Amino acid sequence: MNPIQQRRQEYRSLFKQNVAKRLLVDKVVKIIVFSCVIIAIIPLGSILVEVFKNGLTAISIEFLTETPGSAGSGEGGIGPAIQGTLIIIGLSSIIGVPIGVMSGVFLSEYGDNALARFIRFFNDVFMEFPSIILGIFAFLIIVLVLGHFSVWAGAFALSLIMFPIVARTTEESLKMVPMTYREAGTALGLKKWVITFRIVISAAKSGMITGILLSVSRIGGETAPLIMTILGSSQFFSSMDTPMDALPLRIWRLSLLPYDSAQLQGWGAALVLIMIILGINLGVRYYFTNKKNGFFGQLIKQRRKITK
Amino acid sequence: MTALTIKPINMEYSPVAAPERRTPIDISKYKMIAENVTVSYGGIDAVRNVTMKFKENSVTALIGPSGCGKTTFLRCLNRMHDMTKNAKVKGKVMLDDIDLYSKAIDPIYHRRKVGMVFQKPNPFPTMSVYDNVTSGLRLNGVKDKKILDEIVEDSLKMAYLWDEVKNDLKKSAVELSGGQQQRLCIARALAIQPEVLLMDEPASALDPIATQKIEETIIELKKDYTIIIVTHNMQQAIRVSDYTGFMYLGDLVEFGETKKLFTDPKEELTAKYVQGHFG
Amino acid sequence: MTRLIDPSLHKLSFIMSEMGDMVIESISLAIDSYLTGTNTKDKVLKLSDAIRAKYFEVEDLTFDMLLKYQPVADDFRLIRSSTEISYAFSRFGRYAYDITLVRDLFGDVSECTNASLVESTKKVKHMIKEAVLSFAELDVRKAIEIREDEKFIDNIYRERLPKLIESTNTRCALAEALLLRYLERIGDHAVFMSDAINYIVTGKHRPTEERIASHTKHD
Repeated sequence: MNPIQQRRQEYRSLFKQNVAKRLLVDKVVKIIVFSCVIIAIIPLGSILVEVFKNGLTAISIEFLTETPGSAGSGEGGIGPAIQGTLIIIGLSSIIGVPIGVMSGVFLSEYGDNALARFIRFFNDVFMEFPSIILGIFAFLIIVLVLGHFSVWAGAFALSLIMFPIVARTTEESLKMVPMTYREAGTALGLKKWVITFRIVISAAKSGMITGILLSVSRIGGETAPLIMTILGSSQFFSSMDTPMDALPLRIWRLSLLPYDSAQLQGWGAALVLIMIILGINLGVRYYFTNKKNGFFGQLIKQRRKITK
Repeated sequence: MTALTIKPINMEYSPVAAPERRTPIDISKYKMIAENVTVSYGGIDAVRNVTMKFKENSVTALIGPSGCGKTTFLRCLNRMHDMTKNAKVKGKVMLDDIDLYSKAIDPIYHRRKVGMVFQKPNPFPTMSVYDNVTSGLRLNGVKDKKILDEIVEDSLKMAYLWDEVKNDLKKSAVELSGGQQQRLCIARALAIQPEVLLMDEPASALDPIATQKIEETIIELKKDYTIIIVTHNMQQAIRVSDYTGFMYLGDLVEFGETKKLFTDPKEELTAKYVQGHFG
Repeated sequence: MTRLIDPSLHKLSFIMSEMGDMVIESISLAIDSYLTGTNTKDKVLKLSDAIRAKYFEVEDLTFDMLLKYQPVADDFRLIRSSTEISYAFSRFGRYAYDITLVRDLFGDVSECTNASLVESTKKVKHMIKEAVLSFAELDVRKAIEIREDEKFIDNIYRERLPKLIESTNTRCALAEALLLRYLERIGDHAVFMSDAINYIVTGKHRPTEERIASHTKHD
């Protein structure tokens, strides 16, 4: 055979020949990786299962709408807590989301200087702050100053948790939008803020929404800051300057009581909290992907066409 | 007799920088004049003292190896370098009789007179075909639906895209093919009623048929616009342009009528480049 | 850096140089056969056919190069002129053959030789050599000599023709008339060839009026 074919054979013989063994290694690694994932999911799955199992029996109309009864009586419900959670999440978002988005826009579009670098660093540190400290801070500057626990303080504390997350994810989403769209906008003679808000942000929408939902889920479950600011109560919301109940607080209180009925109510409250967070997530996603011509939007449109 | 070697002697040119035209220049016939333009990034010159004059309703091609500064120069003509940090631009760019770099004028207003089409088609992804074409207008305050409709139809017709999209203008821009997207970008640039059109390798990301359509579009548009196109495809430059400028390492080596530059270039460097000896 | 087009360009230059050699040989043989009486008809026929075959080869090669490589600048001018020059070569071969036919038809006409005939044939031989060399070296200075030679041959042609009409020796007069005619045509093509060479080097054509005039008028 000619020299090229000879050389080919020579080099080929250098390759590892143990193909069967390597396919086996391949399979083994796959199994290991898969099992790691399962191991990681099992605790999460079992939590969900536990919550559903234990909490489902507590759910009823009275449970969802009535004020708490006396401790240990097994009567009453968590109505104020549900209302309080929704109010506090809504209020915090109104404060935290716009500020967070604006900071994200600043860091991404105007952020090539020392000031922005400082803000970014500070932002990252802030994200990891223990929430109890933020609660104490809100306590000090609002509760003590006003002289009473109030919803303002609670919203303020939670927005402090929200805002770094939103800023960070907004900045990352905006950065993912290719430069070429900004260039196209510039070439059309558009001003920078028009390009940023009408073109870049709408292209980064899905990433930003993920970030916002992440932060909403986070604050939905925060307990420590709420202890220091809205304290909790057994009544429905009355005014912004009085304490208010919220689900994490209610769950905490109920779980500390020694009565079985209270424990059951606690499970029920936990289930409700998880359902609310899930609901917000799915609802917002559905709304936005339905509007856009995204993948899910198309799926939904197709299903609509079929069912019509 | 020995085999012939292609070694010409007694060439009638001298290897000196491209001479200025000896006939006096009638400024009014030039739509755009770039004078002594130098662009430097952080101390390094990407474009060095380039002077070029662009006649009205002509197509000028800029050729040269990668990194020679042709795209950088093109972006000077509509002040795109304002967006880039560290970019310093010196010199004058006259559009009709106005220096685009003078401190007295509003760059945004004048940028609308110079449209730009980029290498990779970049229609705004979250907008429909209609919205894309009108984006330069709506976002600049034009609201009258009738006028917008008219301009959309005109621009898409000029870009040879109207027949393909007229039945579904609300279609998302990203659903179009590559060639259609690029023609959409051309329509978008035309919608703001520019006088000059800058094109940065407009067909390099497209298949041969789409390329052909773009070239046909350019030749049609020449009647009403002044076009400057950067291309690395020399046959495209020959087919489409009236004048060609050859740039190398930031300098303008030669500028002249396309046919002359490609059949009998003045500079030896130009001859070497167009025949493929380097680059 | 070897480009894709380079092997084809080398092939082209090789074929052209072969044609050049053959042209010089065939013209010399033809002229000598007239002046000295040797019969070289067959040899020259073979050469002329070979030159014609190479002419078709060159045509194919140049169009192939245009199709594949879309050449520009120097390459383009060389290829464009090669078609003109190879056609001129094929014509030289053909006229050389025609001259040997005269010798063949009329028999030995060596006694018809006169001084002006000797001069013109010498000039033609020189002109052909200069033309082929000028192409090989792309030397446009030779164009001037070629033009002068051609003018000389033209003048001889126009002077001698009326005299031949008056001549009593019909055989010699006819043979000389034919020979002078062929020499004049060879001269014309040599000038076309030098124009083509000038185009390769300078990129300029002779002005159109001159090109048209040189085809018909002679002053």
